[in-house]
Parts: sequence; C-alpha cells; structure tokens
Amino acid sequence: MSALWVLFLIVVFPGFAFTFLFAMFFAWIDRKVTARVQWRVGPPFLQPLYDFVKLLGKEIVVPAGGSRVLFLFAPLLGLAAVTVASTLVWQANIWPRSGFAGDLIVVIYLLTIPSLSVILGGFASGNRVASLGASREMKMILSYELPFILAAIVPIINARGSIRLGDIAQTQPAVSHISGILAFIVAVICMQAKLGLVPFDAAEADTELMSGPFVEYSGAPLAIIRLTRSMMLFVMPVFLVTIFWPGVAAPPQAGLLPALLGSLKIVLLLVVVILLRNTNPRLRIDQAVAFFWGPWVSGVAVLAVVLALLRNAV
Amino acid sequence: MNLKLKALCKSPWVFHVNTGACNNCDIELVDALTPRFDVERFGILLVGSIRHADGLVVTGGVTRQAAPRLRRLYEQTPKPFLVIACGTCACTKGIFHDGYHMAGPVDEIVPVDIYIPGCPPKPEAIIDGVVKLLRKVGQTNREG
Amino acid sequence: MRDREEIIAKVKERLGGKVVSFCAKAPNRLYVGLDGENLPQAVRLVFEEMSARFAIVTGVDTPSGIEVLYHFSFDEAGLVLTFKVLLDAGAPRIDSITPIVKGAEWIEREIHELLGVEFVGHPNMKRLVLAEDWPEGVHPLRRSYGRDST
Repeated sequence: MSALWVLFLIVVFPGFAFTFLFAMFFAWIDRKVTARVQWRVGPPFLQPLYDFVKLLGKEIVVPAGGSRVLFLFAPLLGLAAVTVASTLVWQANIWPRSGFAGDLIVVIYLLTIPSLSVILGGFASGNRVASLGASREMKMILSYELPFILAAIVPIINARGSIRLGDIAQTQPAVSHISGILAFIVAVICMQAKLGLVPFDAAEADTELMSGPFVEYSGAPLAIIRLTRSMMLFVMPVFLVTIFWPGVAAPPQAGLLPALLGSLKIVLLLVVVILLRNTNPRLRIDQAVAFFWGPWVSGVAVLAVVLALLRNAV
Repeated sequence: MNLKLKALCKSPWVFHVNTGACNNCDIELVDALTPRFDVERFGILLVGSIRHADGLVVTGGVTRQAAPRLRRLYEQTPKPFLVIACGTCACTKGIFHDGYHMAGPVDEIVPVDIYIPGCPPKPEAIIDGVVKLLRKVGQTNREG
Repeated sequence: MRDREEIIAKVKERLGGKVVSFCAKAPNRLYVGLDGENLPQAVRLVFEEMSARFAIVTGVDTPSGIEVLYHFSFDEAGLVLTFKVLLDAGAPRIDSITPIVKGAEWIEREIHELLGVEFVGHPNMKRLVLAEDWPEGVHPLRRSYGRDST
C-alpha cells in the first residue's frame, strides 16, 4: 500500500474531495426538504457551496479572552476525523477485503471527535455562552454514546465476533432479525443526537439562535465547522447502512444494482433524519439525557444485544 | 475583494439590531423571515451571533443609549458586510425627529448601504430593498 | 368583594378633611386630591387595608405646578382610584411611597429623572431611563425644556 495511494484515498476518493461534494449535496437536500415541508421553495442547488465560499472570504476574528491556538485548531481536528472516518467506511464498502481488524472501533472513535472538537472550540472561545453550549454538548455525548456503542455491538455479534468493517459489510444484514431492527432504530435515534439535530440539539441552538459553542467563530474556521457538520450528515447514514443494512458492499463485477439499492437506503435514512428534525420540538438537556439513559433507548439497546447473543449462540 | 462581495451577495446572513424602535419594524422584519415570504431563496438566513453576520438590519432611530452599542456591533462584525437601515426611523428618525433622547438616524452612527423607508415597511418592501442591494453590489463588481 | 359605593364611602370616611378635591369623572374613575404630607397615609389605607392593586404613577408639568398622580385599581369592583398631589414647581418634593409599595421604586426613579421631582426616602435613586452621558439636572419632560435644549 504505497503512500501515494493512501494520500489519494484520503484526499480525493473516497476521502476529502468526494466527501466534500456529497456533504454539499446532502446539506442542500436537508435544506430543500425542510423548505418543502414548510410549503416553501428553499435555496438553490449551489447554496451550501455559496455559503462555504462566502465564509472563506470573511475576516477571521479571534476573541481576546480565549485561547488562540485551541480556538483555531479545534475545527481542523473535527474535519480531519470525519474525513478519515469517511475514507475507512467507503473503503469497507468498495474494497471489503482491504480493511484491518478493529477498524470498526476506529471509525466509532473517529466519529466522536467532531463533537469533541465542538467542545474544545466552545471552551476556547472565552465566552460564557459558548462555554454553556460546550458543557451541554459534553452532557449529550455522555448520554448518547452508550446506546450507540451497544447498538453497534449487534452486527459484530452477527458477524461471529469479527470487528472488521469489511466482514460486517458482507455478512447477512443485521436488520433481517428483530435484534438487528431494534439496534438499528436505537442507532438512528443516536445518530440524530450525534448530528446535533432537533430534537436533541440542546447544545447548538439552545441559546436559541446564538449558536452555542460557535458563537465566536467567523470566517474560515466557521466554514470548516459547518463543513464538518455537513460531512457528518453524509458519513453517519453511510456508516449505519454499512453495518446494519449492507448490500452496498459488492465486488465491481456484481453490477450497478447493489450500489443503487445502497444509495437508496442512504437517502432514505437522510430523509428520516430531516423529517424527524422538522416535526419535533427541542428537548431540554435534562430531558434528552434522561431519554437516552432510560428504558426506551439504552434498555432497548441492551435487549437487542441480548437477543443477538441468543440468536448466535444457538 | 470582487469574489468576496460576489459570494456575499449569494449568501447574505442577516443580524437584526433594534436601536430603540417601537417594535413595529421588528415585527415586520421577523415576518419577512417566516416561511410565507421564503427569503432563503436568496440565501438569506437569520443568525444569532454578530460574528456570523453579513448584513446588519438596523431598526429604530438610534437612542443615545443605543448609539455606542451600535458602533460596537459595527466594529465586531467580520468584514466585508452591509448595513441596511429598515424603517423611517432608521432612515431619518421618523416621528421622533425632535425627540430629546435621539442620537440620530442610523447613518450618523454607522455608514448605511441601503435605506428602506416605511412605517413600518411591509415585508415585501424589506425583501425588495435587500434584493435590490444584493443585485447592485453583485453587479458593480462585474463592471470593475 | 367590594362594590364601588362601599369603596368610595370608606375612602371619604377615613381620609375625611384631608381631601382637597373629590371628583368622580366616570362611575369607574375616581380622582382624590391630597396634600403631599397626607399621601403616605392614603396609600397605606388603599394598598394595605383595602388591598387595591398598585397600577402606576404619572407626572405632569402643569402651569400651576408639577402634578403627580398615583393610580390604584380595585379589580373586583372595576374602579380605578387616583390620588392627585400638586407640587411646587420650584422645589417639588414628596415622600416616597416605595417603603409601602415596593413596585413603585422604578417609576419614582423615572419621574425623578424626567421631571425633577425629589422623592424623600427613596431607597435607590439611581439613573434609570436616560443615557449615561445625559447631563445631571436637566429634566426633559419639564415645560421649560425647549426644542433647542441639549
């Protein structure tokens, strides 16, 4: 595996450039569907790109009371993490045999880093409002990561204990059994929280329109933060489809049909996320934490794991 | 600079500043931002933080207390950005012209890019004004 | 649960000779003129004993002096009672009713700033509505404040 090839993977396909384009596309779908749900027209197709370019041209203001280095570095951390996560997930789908043992765990870790970078950036802003938003984000992470990991264990059990994404992507889909369906539903709910969308966006929009941890960001760092969020909107559905409902994974000889079906599944998940976002009120932070730690999410996740163990022990 | 302003006109995020208005203009402005008028077609979004703003929509004739704060907001906004004076009070102090507490219309405190008269201006008038500004700023760059 | 006649009768009976003028402009609107020194007693009667709701204080600079009006509402009876006090324009001074009615603190501050009335015994007479750089001693709602001042 030459260094040049790895560089190509990470920077062009399926890494940064590929994820960037699809992030813009998915962000546009989000805004367009939201607009349609609200009986209006919505922004033009290139709007997310216009937003990104405009932000790159704006002055960067670093707050005097904050930590300069951390403030500017935190968004880059999130961007790097989501780019590498995207590369790994797509690699498992396109070249299933080329992953390494444990890369599922690596991807899960990488997908938590954007939230961590939000917290870092919020605390480095030297602004009370940003600190408040960052502390709420910390509480959210503590609440949704547990059921998410529990749900992710189910496909591992189904794949006879293998923790290679490529293997999981080639086994029988987890959703063909009740344990998989339960785990999938739990994972979708946790995905909504991970993406920081209503009803679980107590961290970002809580201080209502003052943007929580992002309040002091402007210019290029803000562009990177928004790009990271759009990329998460792209990578998370792909990841969930890869581990729970695979079918995208197929050698190129298998033809176009599996890829098409996989794309449909990904878009379906995206639409579920958007509709959830538009039809629900926001939960208070304590309500959200209680929801994730309660029987309906963590309890169901544990049940799913138990059912998967029973199924596979037989 | 040309590309920056051109991109600005494709995605202008507005921040609403009330410098002592009676609130009518604010109500009409918020109304203009509702799904009924759909300003997202132009890329306009309402932002809550001054650091994210590309357009300052100022309502109200500026009272003496609000004047230093408006100046501070002007300085805090990342360049480049536009200032929109919304309502007759913002343009000329309106019916509060001789009031003892007025520091001046908005253009005596910060430079203004467009004046939208009306007491209050209808949402259609506000959108018309902002779109005219975006088109003019976007066009001037093409000519050089 | 009182009705209007009861209220009017009780006010007349308790304040008696201290009342300078008495005018029922409408069945639900009563104006009682008083001297400044009798005001706290009248407010105690209406606010504490008769449990009226304190509405607001207003002030007007009239040709005969500065008039300060205290408005109390008897909600169940549907009656608004106003105490009118006429103060000398040169040195308008009256006892503050804030010790009796806590909610009067801010409006007395505002009247002090805009009309120049001194409220004796006010616990927190600080600037409220005028700008920080407004000159001290200039009262904009006075008749003597012209269009060309400040």
